[in-house]
Amino acid sequence: MSSASPRSAYSSFSPGRIWTMATHTVTQLIRMRILVFMGIISIVIVIAAFAFPAVSPEQQLKLLKDWTFGALQVFFVIIAIAATGLLIPRDLEDRTLYTTLSKPVPRYEYLIGKLLGVMLLLGGGLLLMDLVFSLMLYVKQSLIISSQIAALEKEQAATPENIAFIKDLNSRFGLTYSLHGAVWAIFLKASVVAAVSLLISCFASSTLFTILVGMAFVIAGQGQALLREWFLDKMSGFWQKALSGAIAIFCPDLTLFDLAEPAIRGEVIPLGVLTEVSGIALLYIVGYTSVAYLFFVEKEL
Amino acid sequence: MKNKILAVILLVTMGVAKVPLEDRVAATLKAADLRDAPVALSLRETVSQMAFAAALGGLRSLVASITYLRAYVAFEDRDWGRVDSLMTLTTRMQPREAMYWDEAAWHMAYNAATSTQQREDLRAAIRNKDFRDYVLRGLKIVQEGLVYNPNNPKLLVREAEIYRDRLKDPRPAAEAFLLAAKSGAKPFYERMGAYELVKLGEPPDLQQAYEILKRHYDKGFRYPSVLRDLDILERKLNIPAAQRVGQPLPPSPQPRRK
Repeated sequence: MSSASPRSAYSSFSPGRIWTMATHTVTQLIRMRILVFMGIISIVIVIAAFAFPAVSPEQQLKLLKDWTFGALQVFFVIIAIAATGLLIPRDLEDRTLYTTLSKPVPRYEYLIGKLLGVMLLLGGGLLLMDLVFSLMLYVKQSLIISSQIAALEKEQAATPENIAFIKDLNSRFGLTYSLHGAVWAIFLKASVVAAVSLLISCFASSTLFTILVGMAFVIAGQGQALLREWFLDKMSGFWQKALSGAIAIFCPDLTLFDLAEPAIRGEVIPLGVLTEVSGIALLYIVGYTSVAYLFFVEKEL
Repeated sequence: MKNKILAVILLVTMGVAKVPLEDRVAATLKAADLRDAPVALSLRETVSQMAFAAALGGLRSLVASITYLRAYVAFEDRDWGRVDSLMTLTTRMQPREAMYWDEAAWHMAYNAATSTQQREDLRAAIRNKDFRDYVLRGLKIVQEGLVYNPNNPKLLVREAEIYRDRLKDPRPAAEAFLLAAKSGAKPFYERMGAYELVKLGEPPDLQQAYEILKRHYDKGFRYPSVLRDLDILERKLNIPAAQRVGQPLPPSPQPRRK
């Protein structure tokens, strides 16, 4: 008999177990009708694509991008906070947490699996939304270009120079690779927010508390630059300075992920910038999840 | 308890370590021209609480498009004061979006100014004063936009058009048209600049206008306006007859009497 004993077959870190946990979390979240949110965003995109015919072509494209990115940012940050905040209380309520942790599943694997599940849902959802958005933007851009060329032909001004100018202008304001970079930045922001929410939910007494504190972190994270300027430059005194320091230390700087505005403006987001932003997001996610684990390991269940 | 203390220590350590990294990424974004300045605190006086919160939440672009659409409704209602204040909000939210500055200037210098001129309930002197005030407001908007978007061809063209069409001032109009052409506007605007130089009538201006128009003529742009101004310039600059290409425009036909 050469079979290994059950103890020696057990690995203290198993990507397979984490993946099972993650896919289960995705199923769990989909059952919570998260897809309804995505349906609403799709409707916003379609409305934004055809609701503003009165303004100039450039503005029509810009409004479509503004409304889409606005909807994506709001919805996915809300999904990140609410979905993560609901996970542990729901598992406690359903008692699945006890059956999971009574098996040889370390608590860190449980937490990583949960976070990965939320990130998979966020990533999948954003990928889907990016596809819908890209399609709508491309259709809108093509319609605008053909109508402008038709107008030029009517005015007998459809010179190659004018047609090239129209195509160039619309492609700058239309679909670009940088827009996908901005969608990636939204994914990173939502993932960081999910990690922060996971940390809060590890010591929170209720889901509502997690959601409210999570929202407070998002607002503080978005206003970091402004708050730092306000507290550090315009306030004096120990407590004011301490408050500014605490904000800087505890909150992630979420403005680092705000790449939608330049992308909408038609500016190019270099790969190097995306790499750096991804790096800092990874740091936040690993950091907050590690702290979450230290709280969770002592949590009485 | 030990783990909780450890958690707090880790959180603080990570927090202290992340600040310089955040500053580094912020500097990279700034160097790549991808980071806007935070919304000025003074803006809070003019933006509603909700809009301010949304602006903080990375949604400046969305808030700006909402105020822009409200300005468009005010434009349809010909409520010029409201158009001005809403477009000011829009441009403040997104100062690097040249389109907003351009449209705000156009509303004031063209729509509002023309609308005032059409008001029959006002005395002529008041109408003229209001007209000029709106035109100057439009000019101020476009010049402020150029501070945030230096040498933006769209804004330079708008500035030039306001000088040319509304203020009848050829010198700054010519300068703005020529700078716009240099900064990436269509070559057509270089000719516009040359036409303005012709109006000035000074020898150096005429010489510069001649060089521009002759260059365009040689490239094949032989439009009536080019031929007309080349004719004027060749005569004023005493270009030898053999080298002249300009043609005076035929006199416009007199309206027939019934």
